[in-house]
Amino acid sequence: MTDNLEQLIKEAVEKALEGDIDVINNIEDRVTRSKAKAALVKAKREAIKEKNEASPDENSNDSSDSKKDKTTNEHIAELLIQQFPDDINKELSSNKHIQIQPKNWLVISKYLRDDPACLFDSLQCITGVDLGEESDLEVRYNLHSMTHRHAVEIRISCPRKKAKVPSVESIWRIGDWFERETYDMYGIEFEGHRDLKRILLPEDWEGWPLRKDYEVQETYHGIIVPKVKEGWE
Amino acid sequence: MGIVKGDQMVLNIGPQHPSTHGVLRLKVVTDGEIVSDIEPIIGYLHRCFEKHCENSTYEQVIPFTDRCDYIASMNNNFGYVVAMEKLMEIKVPDRVEYIRIIMAELNRIASHLLALGVYGLDVGAFTPFLYMFRDRERILDIFELTCGARLLYNYMWVGGVSHDLPVGFVETVYGFLDYFEPKLKEYNEILTYNKIFIERTADVGVLPPEVAISYGVSGPNLRGSGVKWDLRKDEPYSIYERFDFDVPIGEGTVGTTGDCWDRFYVRMLEMTESAKILRQALKDLPQDGDVHQAIPKKIRPPKGSIYQRTESPRGDLAYYIISDGSPQPYRLKMRSPAFTALSVLNEISRGWMLSDVIAILGSLDIVLGEIDR
Amino acid sequence: MGVFENKFQDNVVVASLDKLMGWARSTSPWFFQFGLACCAIEMMATAASRHDLMRIGMIPRSSPRQADVMIVAGTVTLKMALRVKKLYEQMANPKYVISMGSCATSGGPYWQHGYHVLKGVDLVVPVDVYVPGCPPRPEALIEGLLKLQEKIQSERPLTRKTA
Repeated sequence: MTDNLEQLIKEAVEKALEGDIDVINNIEDRVTRSKAKAALVKAKREAIKEKNEASPDENSNDSSDSKKDKTTNEHIAELLIQQFPDDINKELSSNKHIQIQPKNWLVISKYLRDDPACLFDSLQCITGVDLGEESDLEVRYNLHSMTHRHAVEIRISCPRKKAKVPSVESIWRIGDWFERETYDMYGIEFEGHRDLKRILLPEDWEGWPLRKDYEVQETYHGIIVPKVKEGWE
Repeated sequence: MGIVKGDQMVLNIGPQHPSTHGVLRLKVVTDGEIVSDIEPIIGYLHRCFEKHCENSTYEQVIPFTDRCDYIASMNNNFGYVVAMEKLMEIKVPDRVEYIRIIMAELNRIASHLLALGVYGLDVGAFTPFLYMFRDRERILDIFELTCGARLLYNYMWVGGVSHDLPVGFVETVYGFLDYFEPKLKEYNEILTYNKIFIERTADVGVLPPEVAISYGVSGPNLRGSGVKWDLRKDEPYSIYERFDFDVPIGEGTVGTTGDCWDRFYVRMLEMTESAKILRQALKDLPQDGDVHQAIPKKIRPPKGSIYQRTESPRGDLAYYIISDGSPQPYRLKMRSPAFTALSVLNEISRGWMLSDVIAILGSLDIVLGEIDR
Repeated sequence: MGVFENKFQDNVVVASLDKLMGWARSTSPWFFQFGLACCAIEMMATAASRHDLMRIGMIPRSSPRQADVMIVAGTVTLKMALRVKKLYEQMANPKYVISMGSCATSGGPYWQHGYHVLKGVDLVVPVDVYVPGCPPRPEALIEGLLKLQEKIQSERPLTRKTA
């Protein structure tokens, strides 16, 4: 029985490779059909692999592309300075990051996502940073492009008292949760976010835990929070 | 999918529920059996990882990274030490690199075995769970042989590893591979091509590639949608460029590309690839070299920051480390792949039945420890 | 049970009945499948192939109403603490709690800076057996369960408690 099936699958795959896919589609039993399809996929992949091995030139091209990446940040910074001269803070930017003003961030982010030279379709990470008890808060965005395979880091700082940054939730969908997390930990408000509330901590929690001047609350719903058992330390 | 407007009901799943993979709460708005909205509520396992990092030295951070993704601790260690070594510009000996790759790939297999076994449990198959746990135990035995721990290893250190390989390690891993590779066929017979399993997972919860990228989904979930993206291949870290392996992607074999079955099957194929890498690494493993040689006496990275991504079994695991020149990190942020994977749940499970939501959630392979940190 | 509990004076009949009940209760305490963090993976490993908890009469239940033992496996956070208490209250008497791992026992590695971690589950529910380890090996958990069985066996549910 199983020999028969394997034979059937083998024949079907051979015919499909020649272009006649209907042979597989016509197999009645769903399980056998899926097995045949899997075998076909495997056969195709092997064929592609053989082709790749025959032409190693492509691989060497790839590696030279990745060497160019060192200048991505400067390259993107130049583009942004042309487009938005007032919003880029040139003095604070380096070859590793671009420092921008919060005001037009939504427009800039849209540009970064859609411009053919940038195409940053994936927001990798949003990191909140507290620059010290007396100084500002900062939000850092790590962007990556699946098309160009390059990455860039954007930094936006905002004052500690009224920490407000435009939300990019509508540009990259993951921005929704990342921004909620940053709000949760630092209390930075993202203007234009549809549902900005705490994500990790309970909603009735007090304070912003990752700020350097955070002091933990004494009790939460009657449970002592910073309790250390007797005899420790 | 035509949704009949009717009385809507809010259903609460969790935080204690056997199929939420930990302490996750789902607020599900249903219309009859059809799901119209899901709000995942997380944070029930928020253990203040980042606060601890700011108050610990760089060495002390490693045990905490273990506890974030407790199913693939080796890979978490790996990501952290790769980032630190890049920040401090340390060159580690070849033997250490090979040992790390072997451990990371073994842990990848263990992690996928757990994910797939539990996924079988989610959709109603109990036997594969027992089979896969049986084989996972053998990997844990190898880890135990090496560093004494079963689950949380604290094995990779900045500049080296904690213990050198024990006597007979290579033979043990070869023995495991010889045992394990035929077992994959058994899993396929018992679960992958099981008719009930295909009915439950094929065409369910389709995740289109552009949605996946916009939500930052990565790893096997992204590859299940047909995007060939693997950091081991595309941005090789450590010595991954020395190995020959494929990046399996979802092809819509039994349904649509990017459905639950594809995500499941990609993991199945990845175990084969990991076994392939393991065999190559074991073959080339340098015989001599001190694993403690490159470990710095004092870990004080220069001022600066680094964003380093690595491929954990769940996807792009990244560490953003800011150093101010002191022995403690100024800020350490972990970008967890499961966090982004969970955020896409609402998008792909609207319009499906309530029981399908469990299948979709299981196929995303989330670990709550990493989501909440 | 509630009607007869701790109602009788200590005598030969009650003592034997107590022994019988203790034996009956101890041999099959069903546990509440309640994974919180890392330790839950070890709990699963304990219940799965190699260690097979069912051979000592432990069967995982998903609902607190059907369970006798709650294994708190993992870090209890403050957001979760109130739920843990609620789940404990939902269990039927007699009920027992095992605190598995150092996180559940005392906060574990998170006791110092963990602003959101409960420093020991015994702050919200009474604990019968503590299993140390981070995470405890399956053998350690089994040892803890056997200790719990001993404890249940030595209980005297019918006898009136003298103050």
